[in-house]
Amino acid sequence: MADRIEGVKKLFTSKSAHVETNRGDAHYEKLFQSCQARIEELKTQTPSNNRLDIDDLLQDQGVNRRDFMKWASAVTGMLMLPASFTPLVADAALLMNRAPVIWLELSDCAGNTEAMLRSDGPKIDEILLDIISLEFNETIMAASGHQAEAQLEDAMHTFKDKYLLFVEGAIPMGINGQYGTIGAQGETFYDHLMRISKDAAVVVAVGSCATFGGVPAASPNPTDAVGVMDVVNGKPLINIPACPANPANMVGVIIHYILTGQVPELDSLLRPKFAFGYRIHDNCERRAHFDAGEFVEEWGDVGAKNNFCLYKVGCKGPMTFNNCSIIRYNESVNWPVGVGRGCIGCSEPDFWDKYAYERPMADANIKAPTGGVEKTVDEFGLGLLTAAGIGIGIHAAASIIAGKKEDGGEV
Amino acid sequence: MITKQLIEQIEGEASILFDMKNGVVDFATISFPHFRGIESILKGKNALDALVITPRVCGICGHAHLMATVRALEDAYKNAGYPIELSKKSKIIREFTLTMEIVQNHFKWIYLTIIPEVAKLSNSTREQTPLKGAYAASIASKAIAVFAGQWPHSSYMIPGGITTDPTNLDVLKVESFMDELIGFFEKESLGVSLEKFLSFESCKDFKILNSDISFLENSLIDMKMNQKGFAYDRFLVIAKHTFTKPSKLKHTRPFSINAKYVNTIDSYSPNQISYAKNAQYKNIFYETGPLARAMATNFPIVKNMHRRFKDSAYSRAIARVFELATLLQHAKELLVQIDISQKSFIKSVDISKITAKGIGVVEAPRGPLLHSVNIKEGIIQDYKIITPTQFNIGSSSKSDPTPAQKAMKGVTKAEALFIFRTFDVCSVCTTH
Repeated sequence: MADRIEGVKKLFTSKSAHVETNRGDAHYEKLFQSCQARIEELKTQTPSNNRLDIDDLLQDQGVNRRDFMKWASAVTGMLMLPASFTPLVADAALLMNRAPVIWLELSDCAGNTEAMLRSDGPKIDEILLDIISLEFNETIMAASGHQAEAQLEDAMHTFKDKYLLFVEGAIPMGINGQYGTIGAQGETFYDHLMRISKDAAVVVAVGSCATFGGVPAASPNPTDAVGVMDVVNGKPLINIPACPANPANMVGVIIHYILTGQVPELDSLLRPKFAFGYRIHDNCERRAHFDAGEFVEEWGDVGAKNNFCLYKVGCKGPMTFNNCSIIRYNESVNWPVGVGRGCIGCSEPDFWDKYAYERPMADANIKAPTGGVEKTVDEFGLGLLTAAGIGIGIHAAASIIAGKKEDGGEV
Repeated sequence: MITKQLIEQIEGEASILFDMKNGVVDFATISFPHFRGIESILKGKNALDALVITPRVCGICGHAHLMATVRALEDAYKNAGYPIELSKKSKIIREFTLTMEIVQNHFKWIYLTIIPEVAKLSNSTREQTPLKGAYAASIASKAIAVFAGQWPHSSYMIPGGITTDPTNLDVLKVESFMDELIGFFEKESLGVSLEKFLSFESCKDFKILNSDISFLENSLIDMKMNQKGFAYDRFLVIAKHTFTKPSKLKHTRPFSINAKYVNTIDSYSPNQISYAKNAQYKNIFYETGPLARAMATNFPIVKNMHRRFKDSAYSRAIARVFELATLLQHAKELLVQIDISQKSFIKSVDISKITAKGIGVVEAPRGPLLHSVNIKEGIIQDYKIITPTQFNIGSSSKSDPTPAQKAMKGVTKAEALFIFRTFDVCSVCTTH
């Protein structure tokens, strides 16, 4: 299995992350009609779990129609759809309780549950996450113990082949899965996941542990932890990595599913391109300082006081594909680069062994996906530095969207 | 008769095996069936990598892990002959974010754990409002994010200070989050001003309230939780903070302590897999957490409560509510002390020059969190983590039960499960 996992990681290039943002009017008109038809049909169905009316709830929380439409247009943009789709996205959001969700926690720290269901996310995202038809989540639901297991069985049966299965946490394969067991029968995480994913419509791996194994899979990988895509076959699978994963991206995936009935366009690591199609670096608020050759040389220096580029103190933004530089964290309050911390590449495979902490890329013996498969980071990093030194224009002229250059190289 | 009960609505999963006699719990063993092996993952890595990896032990108290790591590394610097200097500003901001992490935890515990459990056990028809806890926690984590970049899993502390260099505007932003949060707490949880609540001197003062908190308090009395759930009446606070002080208490008598006397023993859970070890101080079990911290600081109303109800489930639960209130007040006071002109970071030697051992202790939401590290030329040789839940909710033998095991003895199974949750269970930390 290890070879296969490595193989999948190597497949990724900046080219495979390329996003086609304009597919022409004909394409969007056709898409619009099919989405509209789907939304109309969904409206006629009763909610799978009719606890709350979303419209009322939004109003209770002080979100007026205007705020809501603003949010909808932001999501439309995030999903890379034309502005004309905004009303459809708004409708899709109000229909979120038509999509039954089962949420599993495996070998994890509950950080994604914390981030997504309680602590983070723009206000509307958070409300929507609270009212999606969450049929099962052991951390937040009311039932527990045997009652909870019955509830899970019931949800699986009622929504057979219809539910979205969100998985948080890695799957420990060592000692026959005994590093993680669940329920009264002591079912292993692996068996649990296989049993519940069998009848899912789509499996969504949330957070770095569920996608690529995460911190539990860090060398020497004591529990032989793997990600969902390494064990689940024959199901549509979406990866939403990052540690914690950003709630906005999760909402994006659900809305896309409601809107189109399909999984969003994915890169070769199965990440939705709308969220992972560009690099942190491309939209970073400190990017101008990179282009100007202004760097933080060490913590606490003049550069640090003036929010200069963190590249030299080990920021992995240039090789990390994610949208945090745009949507940020905790209701857009801030993000690590905002506090001079530098990106640790937490949405990339193996970040815990390769990118973690302040070794500048130029000193790190690691392979970056952005420089093409053949290029090592040493070259990549030095190349970037040189570019910053001699030709400011090169990067400024590069596309906002990573990998537009067809030759696969960045410099 | 032995029955098994799974515990959910906590971070991770735990299960308890009850041995019942005449309808009450005679003995219970607790297991945490998950294991990730974070300690062995840290071995062989650059010591600074620990700052990124250890917060990921836990999704709800990652900040405490970060601070324990940074304190352990700074201790190693000191032991290697390169003492780290910290500016007052960086100390205050660290304390502030840690305080707010405890605040968000307690809000979630009140609204997502204990009030629903109270309602269940007392068959109350009161409307459940878990979103209140989620909302309050989201404001608290926004306040953290201004300084720390994100929550959960922030990594902005480094040996020698913090990476962030806040402006006055940032501090103002945090102040407004604090005002919003305190206003919410007063209006939605207390039903009285924070100042008034903190002036309470006796449990009788709750009588004037009609709010979520008084519902909790009244129900605990109705459920006779002031007469149940007693542990050892021994308390332990290890870490030094602006909001509490290290102390070991037997009943009300304080003794001085030293973190080096903390020891761990294998847990006892014969019929199920468990990856948790029990933590003790000089081979004796102590209770840790908000009640222990309030006892160490002589907090008047908690002392009053303790005089009347000892370390009952009632005292444990209400101490957590009071800690939330005091910490909100404390966080505001800390903000005023921030002098942005001071340095955020004071440079020391490179980590590769460090060959030493270090211990870092922090008071996390549930009690003391210990990290000890052994570094050779900047590389981690050995890393050990002891978490608060290992003190409170270990699983030991019948002759020497842990605080939680002792507290669950002699009550019905439903009551025992409730008492278990008054300790604020976190399984992901426990097994790491």
